[in-house]
Parts: sequence; structure tokens; C-alpha cells
Amino acid sequence: MLRQWMAGLTFALSVMLSAAFSVAPMVAPAQEANAPGSEAEAPATAPATDKPRPGTLEDILRRQQGLKLDPERLLRRPAPPAPIPLPPQLGTLGRQSDADLWRALKSGAYARPSSDTASGKLMQTAGEEWRRLRREVILKYAPWLPAGVLGLLVLFYLIRGRIRIRGGRSGRTIPRFSMSHRIAHWFLASVFILMAISGLMILIGRPVLLPLLGHEVHSVLLSAALQGHNLFGPVFILALLIAIVRFMRGNFFQWADVKWILRGGGMLGVHAPAHHYNFGEKTWYWIVVFVGLGMAATGLLLEFPWLVETLLYHQLATILHALGAVVMIAVALGHIYIGSIGMEGALDSMLKGEVDENWAREHHDLWYEQVTGKKAVHGGGGDDTPPPAAAAEQT
Amino acid sequence: MGLVEFIEGPAFWFALAVFVAGALWRFVGIIRIGHKPDLAPPKGSAGWGWIRGNLRHFFPRGLFAERTWMHVLGGYAFHLGLFAVMFFAAPHVDFIRERLIGVGWPALPRWGFIIAAEIAFAGLIVLWVRRFSDPVMRLISDWDDHVGSWLTFLVMLTGCLALERAHVSLRALHMGLVELWLIYFPFSRLMHAFTFMLSRGATGASYGRKGMTL
Amino acid sequence: MSETADTVIRTMLDQTDGDIAAYLEACVHCGECAEACHFYLATQDPKYTPTYKLMPLVKAYKRHKAPLRSVKGMLGLLPAEVSEEELREWESLVYDSCTMCGRCTLVCPMGLDIAGTIRKMREGYSAAGIVPDGLRTARENVVKTGSPMGVTAKALKAQIARQEKETGLEIPLDKQGAEYLALFSSMEVMGYPEVIGAYARIFARAGIDWTISTEAYEATNIGVQIGDGPLARKLVARIVDAARKLGVRHVISPECGHAYGAIRWAGPNMLGETFPFEVIHIIELLDRLRAEGRLEIGEKDARRITLHDPCQIVRRGGLLKEPRRLLDDACADFVEMKGSGVTNLCCGGGGGVSANPRAEELKTQAFSCKKAQLDAIDGLKAVVVPCANCRGVFEDGLDALGGDYEVIGLSELVADTLKD
Repeated sequence: MLRQWMAGLTFALSVMLSAAFSVAPMVAPAQEANAPGSEAEAPATAPATDKPRPGTLEDILRRQQGLKLDPERLLRRPAPPAPIPLPPQLGTLGRQSDADLWRALKSGAYARPSSDTASGKLMQTAGEEWRRLRREVILKYAPWLPAGVLGLLVLFYLIRGRIRIRGGRSGRTIPRFSMSHRIAHWFLASVFILMAISGLMILIGRPVLLPLLGHEVHSVLLSAALQGHNLFGPVFILALLIAIVRFMRGNFFQWADVKWILRGGGMLGVHAPAHHYNFGEKTWYWIVVFVGLGMAATGLLLEFPWLVETLLYHQLATILHALGAVVMIAVALGHIYIGSIGMEGALDSMLKGEVDENWAREHHDLWYEQVTGKKAVHGGGGDDTPPPAAAAEQT
Repeated sequence: MGLVEFIEGPAFWFALAVFVAGALWRFVGIIRIGHKPDLAPPKGSAGWGWIRGNLRHFFPRGLFAERTWMHVLGGYAFHLGLFAVMFFAAPHVDFIRERLIGVGWPALPRWGFIIAAEIAFAGLIVLWVRRFSDPVMRLISDWDDHVGSWLTFLVMLTGCLALERAHVSLRALHMGLVELWLIYFPFSRLMHAFTFMLSRGATGASYGRKGMTL
Repeated sequence: MSETADTVIRTMLDQTDGDIAAYLEACVHCGECAEACHFYLATQDPKYTPTYKLMPLVKAYKRHKAPLRSVKGMLGLLPAEVSEEELREWESLVYDSCTMCGRCTLVCPMGLDIAGTIRKMREGYSAAGIVPDGLRTARENVVKTGSPMGVTAKALKAQIARQEKETGLEIPLDKQGAEYLALFSSMEVMGYPEVIGAYARIFARAGIDWTISTEAYEATNIGVQIGDGPLARKLVARIVDAARKLGVRHVISPECGHAYGAIRWAGPNMLGETFPFEVIHIIELLDRLRAEGRLEIGEKDARRITLHDPCQIVRRGGLLKEPRRLLDDACADFVEMKGSGVTNLCCGGGGGVSANPRAEELKTQAFSCKKAQLDAIDGLKAVVVPCANCRGVFEDGLDALGGDYEVIGLSELVADTLKD
């Protein structure tokens, strides 16, 4: 498994390197960077001539039969063969074994370029590497992140239950989110849900939905999901930008956040202080900002492929887009949980724009003090008394 | 006759008939309630006022738009986007020419359609979000408002999902929802697409009579 | 359904003509109107959203009058019958929290005349006797004395005599064949009698042949405010009869909002005839005299002065430029308040709200919006309020909220700045 991650890393690295090179086209052949990279990191197991990697008859037959290929073997990276001189001219019957020649080329063999502009490497295999990374690493492991978070949340709910407002609701409310905040939030939220559902269908439709629904239904669903995802993408970017601007104020990290972390966000039984937003919320905000913008950038590249000509960028974009998506979805699940069933009184802030005073005092004491001018006393005896039901991360 | 043929054939004609008959019945019904002639000597023309009232209310007044700009923007985005998509999407133009009236007009290019649809969706979502998160909107909204919004959203959504034009079933799904929408239309607040003329006109005419140029 | 509810609903629906039906049909529940209503602005309470105030009528209309109701009924989609409790619950919304100022119409994308629709609802409420106590008392006064404030002809004559003494001019009473018949609001006769003197001074200078009738001197129409159609008709008829008897050619509506609408626009329709005389608002008349050069202004008022646009005169009456032309002549330092003109905020006490003690607190709250507009003007000294009702609300409001501005009528200002 480590090897597979290594392979992924190698791929990403090589893409970045080649991207860097392709910026300056005058620099010698871009793909050449591929080889030294692989050479440095891939374990050299067998000489190329000894056992050519993919595409043996055996491999092809296994693939046709729908049998699993041995990833270990496929990912094994032989050291690139030394440049082999291409035969000056291939005769009609050939002069040597053509099969061996092609195999060697596919394994990344170099040839002496015939002109200054040509690349020494004659066959591009990044596509194959990208396909394997996507199929065998991303698809295999990434969906487990949101699924795992979902499991943890269920577990948390069963153990901890709903976080209630200590002392119940006071009946007095404090305004927390203005109308424009709420519109910005729900605008982003509703588009996010559409994007997440259609995106997951595209990502794991083949392994998950296809066996369940069969080819016919699956193809219809995926066509719909793709169109929907592409269509709502730009709307998502609009919603994202509005939300980023609208929620920026108050979301910069402050000293209280360090204390909040040290006190484990209130999970350790000690009260954790928070301003308008606590550390968890701020982290979520910055995840939305950075991962969200990353999703926007990679998404635009996927939707408008003609924006950039380098294939490697597109390959990298699909990988990053998928990784960003599972991260966003996983964290969003936590956010949705704690904002709705996980914590009493939290949903009020986004639905009505107002929160109960007791809720504010418990979860956002510094903000509460600032808004009301009253002192927030915790657990009746000041900060030292550990409240029994401390605030969890209110993301 | 398969389900798809049914949806795209008889069901569509039925829905269209309900739509036309219902909307006409309701529109004419409102006019037929009528009103007494106004005996006060007018200062201006009621007819011009009717037209002016209709045009004037297409535009917000700055004083108020300052306070509710997000809503105003959402409203424009949704309505203009929907109008463009409804009448200028290439499949729609084809449909109108081939199945309805025999004449067509230039359609939006694909990118134009996408932009219009994006704008319409953004606007509709903003309007819908406001409807459930603003205390005023929660108080005055009823089920009709929500059904209308959702039905319109689903019609738009399925239309866009069928954009690849590769699957008959997706197109049929869109058509089926359009038929629901058409049948629902005359009985619901969606009728505002026609009744706006009457209410704006009524106010405009009464202002016109009073010689006011609003 | 109780008999009371039945009366309210039947009367309301009788009043619902094609225009009102179009309003009820076209509302899309967009909520824009809330932002236009001073009662909502002042309290932020969603129940003051103008379109929400119409709910009982909307329900009754959908159930009993709307086209396609039979089809909807078969599908069980009609709203339930409006109950008496519901109607009573809405009474305060219909009477206390709507001044029928029509500001919501401007912002409405559908152009709904909510004020006019509220007026129709009040017809229903009034017919069933569900009326706030303050307005009920005023109505009893009108029935007994002919005036909501109980202004008798005797009281009028006493005020006129005092004004004659102060101005040294003769004020003609019941003069047969005069060209103009001047009307006043009860508020003016009792609270601001100097208006009568101002008329005398201006008309003497402009050479206008005018008179006051001892039979019909009040333009205030409580019937319109309550929504009591028969009473409104009676009050208009009184003026028309007096004008006929004296043979005047013009009837001057005073600086009073609803009175103008009642006699100028609604009056002919109430009586079913076009009047044999012209109804002219005093502001219109002054502007006409100004244009003819018959108002020679001497020394201008040097104070910083602003103008409050009474809704029934400006927004719903169409007299937008006239008061401004007069003020430009009479004032050296006239400034507009923010949002003036047709979109101006109501004082908060029109449409019978100021005559309704139950609404006192709400009215004062709503006036705070108005006061904020005044406070926003640097160095403001006085505000011209060409409506006796608004003027009373301004004085009460400034009294309650504090604010050192003089409140003056337009005619008085013009009379004071006339060349000696």
C-alpha cells in the first residue's frame, strides 16, 4: 500500500515538475523530467529488458476477462532503460524484434532525438499512471473519509447524545446572523449539496451504483449528474465568493482560539472560550476558503479544458478535485451535524438569525459579553468550575 | 404506447390544454368582475396610466432597493434567466417550431444557454432561501409559494440534466415535470406571470386619472 | 359562520371589484412591502407586513369569488372559511397599523394598491360594527354634531370672529354666489384657527371672492377613515348640497389628506354624479394664484425649512411640484428631506390611526422614522406640513420623542410671507 502512495506522490511530483518546466518551453524537453524523478524514487527491481511491465499478453488477457491485475506488479517501476539507438531505418520485415522495441519505448526508453525540438522520450505513459492512481488509490480509499466521518458522528451521537443548552433556553434572544449572512450561507449550502451529490455520483458511481442499478440506469443517472455538476459549478463559485466575503469578518484567528485548542474545544470538560466564531468554526471557514477556491480552480479547468493545454494539469486537477471534494464533504458532514441535531439551539442562528442568550453564553462567551455587556458566568462558579456539558466544536 | 411516448404525446397535449384553458378562464374571470365607471373628472389619462404603471413597476425604486438589494438582484436574475432559457434554449426553439407553431427563431448558443441557466438558478435559490429564512417571508408564505418554487426548480433542473440530449428518459422526465407545472400553473400563484398586468394596470390607471407621473 | 363574520365577508366581497381582485390575485408574497411600511420599519414585527394585513380578504376572496374556485373546491384546495376570531384578530392590523399611505404600492413589483384594499376591508368591518373605540366615538360625534371633534356652527363662528379681529379682514359667511367655497378640517378649526385667518389674508390680496358655509364647513370625512360607506356619502352630500345652494364654482379642499381624496376622487363615485363645481386643493389654488402673479411675496422666511409630503396629497393626490414651487418662493433656505416626494414616509397617524387611542404607542413608534428624517437635516428649524392631521401627529410625536422644530401649515407660511 505504501508503494501505491509512493506512486501517487511520484505522479504528483512529476506533474508539478513538468508543469514548472512547461512554463518555460525553451527549457529542454519537458517529459525528460519524468525519468530522473522516477529513477530517484521508484525502487529499481528489474532491468527493463528483463521483464517488460504492462501490456504482456497475460495482462491483456486478464484485463479482458475482468480479472484483477496485480497492482504490485503493475506499479513496479523498473529503472528507465538506457537510451537505445533506434534502428536507422526499419525495413519492411524489420531488422530486430519490433515487439521488444515497442515494449522498451513504452517503458520510457529514450531515443536520440532527430531534431532539437523533439523529445528524447518517445512514448508518454503519464496517462496510464494517472488512470491507475485514480482507479486504484483515489477511488479505493477516498470515499472512506466521508463514510468514516459519518460513522464517527453516529457513534458520537450514540455516546454523547445531543448537546443541550445548560439551564435550558432563556427565552431571550440575541441577533447573530443578518439576513444577508443567512442568504449567503443557504445559497452556498444548497448548491454545495447539489454539487456533492452529483459529484459523488460521478466519482464512485461506477463501483457503487453500477452493480446496483445496471448499465442502463447508471448511464442515464451519470449523464444527468455530469450535466448538473457542470451547470451548478459556476453557481457554486458565485455562492462561494459571496460567502467568503460575507463571513470573513470575525473569522481571523485570535488569542482565544489558542486557549480553545488547549482546552480541547470544551470536550475535556473545561470551558473553551470563543468570540463570534470559535476555533472550529474559523477552521471550517478557512477550509471553505482554501479548499473551496481550490475546487473552483480545478473544477474550472475540468469544465473548460481548453483553458490550459498541458494534459498533466488536467490530470492533476481531477486528482486534487476528488481529494478536495471528500475533504469538504467529510468536514461538511460534521458541520451539518453540530449545526442541527448535534446541538440544541445552534440551528436557530441560521434559520431565524437569532440565538438564545443561554446558548450564546455557553458557546460564545466572549461574543456574548461583547454584545450584551453582561459577564458570562460558566457553571455558576466562574471559569474554574468545569461545566458538565461543555461546548463541542460548533463548526 | 410506452411511457415515454405517452408523456411526450397525449400527456403533453392534455397539460397544454389545461394550461391554456385554465389561464384564460382565470384571467378573463378577473376582468369580468369589472368595476363601476369613475365619475370624478380626471386630471390625466387612465389608459396611459395603465401602460405607465405596467412599465414603471418593472424597475425598483432606489430608496427601497438599497435595503433589499440581494432580493431585488435575485428576482431579476431568476426571471430574466428563466425567460431566456424558456424561450431561447435550442431544444425549446426546436420543440416550438416542430411541435407547436411551425415557426422558430434564433436560439441561444450553448454557452449562452448555460449562462442564462446559471443566472436563473442562482436567482431562484436566493429567492427560495430568503423565503424560509426571513421572518417576514416565513409569515406570509404558504404552501402554494413553496410548491411553485420547487416545481419550477425541478423543471429547470431536469431540463439541465437532460442537456446532453443523449437519453430519452431524461428528456421524458423533464417533459413530465413540465406537464405537471403546466397543469399546476392556472390554479396557483404562478399565474402572476399574467395577472401582474392587471394589478399594475389598475394602480397605474388610477394614478393616471389623478395626473400623477410616478 | 357567525352573523358578524358573514356581514364582514359579504360586505368586503361586495366591495371587491375587478381591480381589487387583480391585486389579491397578483400578490406573489415577495415581502418587499414590509420594507416600505413605517410600522414594520419602526417595530421590525413581521405582522406589520402590508400584504399580511389583507389575509382575511384574500382567503374569503379565494373561497367565494375567485375564478376557478369550483375546480379548486373539488380538489379540496380552497382555504377554510374566515372565522370571526380571525377577523377580530386582524382588526388591529386593519385599523391601527395601516394609515393607507400607499407607500407599499411603490415598492410592490406587482403594483398592488394595498391601501385601497385595506379601505375595502374596513367597509366590511365597519358594516359589522367591529371598529376601534376611538373611531366609534368620532363616528358618534359626527352623527350627533356633524363633526368628529364636535365642532358646531357656533364654535366655528366664534373662531371666525376671533380671526376677523386678528386680521382686520372680513370673512364672508354663507355668501350667495361666491366663486369659492372654503372647507376646513375639524383639526384646523379647533387646533389651528389661524389657517382661517391665513385664507382671509391670501384671498384678500389675490382678490378672490370666497365664502365659508355654516352648513358644510368640514371636509374631514370620518366615513372614509372608518370604511363606513353610507356615512362617507352623507358627509360628501352635505358639502355638495351647500355648494349647490350657494352656487359656488369651486370648492376648496383644505390642507388635509384624506379629505381631498374623499371629495375630489371618491366623492363623485359615492354620489353617482359628476359635481357641478370644481374641487380644488388649497395647494393647487395657491399654486395657480402664484403662477398668475397674484401672490406677491415680500420678505422670505430665512429659517432652514423642510417639507413633509402628506401621502394623500402627494403620493396619492398627485400634488408633488405645487407645494415646492410655493416654498421656493416663500423660503430662503428650503431643503428636501431624504426620500422626499412620492416615496416620502407617512407621519404614522393618517387613515384614522391618530383618532384611535389604542394605536397611540404604535403611532409614536412609527413617527420615530419620520423624526429620524428630520434629525438628519443639519440646522433644521421648521417643517412645513400641509395636512392638519399630519400636523397634529407631528406635534404629538415631537412632544413625545423630543425635537425642537416648529411645525407650520403651508397656507400660513404663504400668508406670513406676503408683501405687506
